[in-house]
Amino acid sequence: MFEILSSLLKYIFTTVIYFFIFSVIRLIYLDIRSINNRLETAPGKHPYLKLINRRDSLSFKVEESYILDNNKTLGRSSKNDIAIQDPYLSSRHAEFIIKGDSYYIKDLESTNGTRVNGMRLADDMVRLDNGDKIQVGQLTFIFVKEY
Amino acid sequence: MRILPNYFKPLYAVVLINIIGFLLLYFYRKPLENTTIYMGLIVIALICLTYVLIIKMNMGDEYLFLIVSMLISLGVIMLYRLDKELAFKQIVWLTCGIMLFFLSYYAYLKLELWDKLLYCYLGISLVLFLLTFLFGRHIKGANNWIAVGRFSFQPSELIKVLYVLFLASYRNDPDKLRIDNIRLKGIKLNASSQLIFMAISYCFMAFLALQREFGTALLLFAVYYTFLYVMGSKVPVMLANGAFALVGGLLGYFLMYHIRVRVDVWLNPWKDIANKGYQITQSLFAIGAGGFFGTGLGLGHPDFIPEVHTDFIFSAICEEMGIFGGMAVILLFFIFAYRGFKVSLTVKQPFDKTVALGIAMMFAFQTFIILGGVIKFIPMTGITLPFISYGGSSLTTGFISLGILQAISKKSL
Repeated sequence: MFEILSSLLKYIFTTVIYFFIFSVIRLIYLDIRSINNRLETAPGKHPYLKLINRRDSLSFKVEESYILDNNKTLGRSSKNDIAIQDPYLSSRHAEFIIKGDSYYIKDLESTNGTRVNGMRLADDMVRLDNGDKIQVGQLTFIFVKEY
Repeated sequence: MRILPNYFKPLYAVVLINIIGFLLLYFYRKPLENTTIYMGLIVIALICLTYVLIIKMNMGDEYLFLIVSMLISLGVIMLYRLDKELAFKQIVWLTCGIMLFFLSYYAYLKLELWDKLLYCYLGISLVLFLLTFLFGRHIKGANNWIAVGRFSFQPSELIKVLYVLFLASYRNDPDKLRIDNIRLKGIKLNASSQLIFMAISYCFMAFLALQREFGTALLLFAVYYTFLYVMGSKVPVMLANGAFALVGGLLGYFLMYHIRVRVDVWLNPWKDIANKGYQITQSLFAIGAGGFFGTGLGLGHPDFIPEVHTDFIFSAICEEMGIFGGMAVILLFFIFAYRGFKVSLTVKQPFDKTVALGIAMMFAFQTFIILGGVIKFIPMTGITLPFISYGGSSLTTGFISLGILQAISKKSL
């Protein structure tokens, strides 16, 4: 009796183990893909910052574009959502704020300031429109909102 | 983090494995004993509770413990089938291990001093080595156990973790090991930190070899050599270390009887099959007898292999759960090591990076060394299969390392 039970259940046993391995690998795969996809698919849905500096002229690491899908802070410290090691940035430099359909930028009392279309920001939030030029430190971004 | 239902899908599989396994074991033992069912429920409850805590408290990477829980389940089921008493003890160790897991997780996360304790790690290791030499008990030809009251534990398991922490703190601040113009009887001593680091590493391995812990010595060398490579050491340094280790290995082969026996048995176990080659040939027979799906739990004869519950548990798994079961174990260790490397790649601080890499390498190499030994791919050296073999020291230190890895994965988010 036990022999029959054991020799039948061993197939189920092996199947369940492989099902487990398969589902873990699948979850890990989804986990990795969600990190990669954030940069590829999001531009259609969310506005983003596009870098106009040539990246190879800069001595620090910076991405080609940053998605603004949430409120995000920008600065030199790694605690920021957008962390860039530009020596001309303050550790907490500026903040992007989403209110409904509108997007705002606020300077967080940075040393070298934030400029939108050449105008240095004061303490208030400034609304961003498609094509606005944002200058922080050595970097210049264009705010792109395609809809 | 949102709790998605599919996070729990793999957990159901672990629970199902335990249910099937313990149900079979319930019918396997005559007369029927309810304790089997209780043991199964305890294991399931422990695993589920820990996993839910990890998810609810957002403790970083949720796959690490999941993979380990599958390995633990397979190990406990196999142990219960081999020896009931050992499985009881293993479940007690599992409970201690899970407590230590949470303890080391919080200790590593909350205390910010782990990168500054380089001398401490060396001191504790030295004390452990000395204690083993002075009070060590000889068990099965190896002088590597310390008895404290009724319990005995294996210091070499703890030394593995200490060595990883030592590696990481050396990488974090190499200057701590430099000797600069220290006057000793009028002679000025100067030594670069790298040289001293190498000397200390080889001292660790030599101490372990003197205790006849060849497996752990080999394991430390593998971790040390990979660490040198990852650090970006120059080719001559790597070659010199390789040559030094080769000379050391050959010396060990000619000077130590134990090593010679192991190598001879590895080259031809059939020559002395009744005596020295008995263990490894029985292991090979067991693996061969299993076939693809195994004989079924309780239907094979893994108890012919000496030491089947610790070093040779993989052969028992292969015999009763088949070569597919064995491959599943290897795959599980693969994804575990992969998760470890991923944590190491994503975390920012160099100390954490090295600790994560060291722990992942430690588990990966340990698996390779013992599985290689069991299937006669490399000479047999007695170390445990992490999380599966019976052994309190091995299981608890495994969980301490896992806790540290979990804490680092939390930092990397």
